Amino acid sequence: MKLKSRARLIHLLISKSTAEALLIAAVAVGFYFATTNVNLRGVLDKADRQVVSGWAVDEGNPEVRIEVQLFIDDRFVSDAPADKYRPDVHEAKRAQDDWHGFEFQSPQLSPGDHEARVYAVHANGGGARRTLQLIGMPYRFRIE
Amino acid sequence: MPGQGALAAWEIASVTSSVLIAEWILSAAAGASKAVVAIPIGLAFILMIGSHRLRGESLRDVGFRFDNFFRAIKLLLLPMLIVAIASLLIGLALGAQPNFLRWHPERRLIAQIGLGFAWGFVQQYVLQSFVNRRAQIIWGPGLVSILLTGLIFSVLHLPNPWLMVVTLIGGLIWAAVYQRAPNLIALAISHSVMTWLLVSTLPVSALNHLRIGFKYFT
Repeated sequence: MKLKSRARLIHLLISKSTAEALLIAAVAVGFYFATTNVNLRGVLDKADRQVVSGWAVDEGNPEVRIEVQLFIDDRFVSDAPADKYRPDVHEAKRAQDDWHGFEFQSPQLSPGDHEARVYAVHANGGGARRTLQLIGMPYRFRIE
Repeated sequence: MPGQGALAAWEIASVTSSVLIAEWILSAAAGASKAVVAIPIGLAFILMIGSHRLRGESLRDVGFRFDNFFRAIKLLLLPMLIVAIASLLIGLALGAQPNFLRWHPERRLIAQIGLGFAWGFVQQYVLQSFVNRRAQIIWGPGLVSILLTGLIFSVLHLPNPWLMVVTLIGGLIWAAVYQRAPNLIALAISHSVMTWLLVSTLPVSALNHLRIGFKYFT
């Protein structure tokens, strides 16, 4: 193989690798935006033996009451719309009205440490997929 | 500048990675826009065709030829027969009833075998005309280059375990035959017929509709 041909083949290989790297990067960014609601805001305020509560707002669609799901210790507990009365969220200018709270009754839990997580359900892929997006931070609590 | 062997290894890695990117990353992330999967495959074909030209390989060299067709068929017959009988016996042992109309029953069998030939031709071109030939640049004709070709063919069928085994066996046979009689038409016929026989004899649950890559899990 001639030196010139070899150099051209190397250029071809590098160009192909570069094109593929750019393609993967573009797909990764597109996938992130397709499966993640960047306008989602919310906090998991409280978790104890009685209730798990907080608020969640889609700032892109503030009039929508988003669906949230509660998991305790990585196990699904329940789902509900975030449509409970939370005037403090409105007063703090995090929502356009008073009705973006959520509240779940806690299930029977054994004594010890537990972790609550609340996820917003995000429909994407033209409705083909429903992905879960964590609201705020996981909340650790103890049952005596 | 890399030597001939290093360059050939780079070419093999590049084409293999393109197929894996299409199977694992893009088919998982692309959703409804499946056309994006064709991009790395298209890039791989641009590389392969460019490589043939830069290395001065003719169509005849890479296996687009008729003069050795019967020699290739003759070399293929015995291993194909052994694999077909083994597949039938394994299928029966696993309780599968042979059904020679199972492979895409919505199509006429002859049309499906024709499509299988076209698809087999493309796969054999990538596997033999490119991977096998580049492996021979590194290690020369013989066991090591045959083994590498078979292994790559098997890896491209991850994570389907049954398909990985049969493609390893098929890949080794086809690579060995190609090194003796490089003829893509004979290999594509063999590929299509063997796919038909495997689909007809092995349990449907084992082959999982020949799904590979991310699609295997869907």
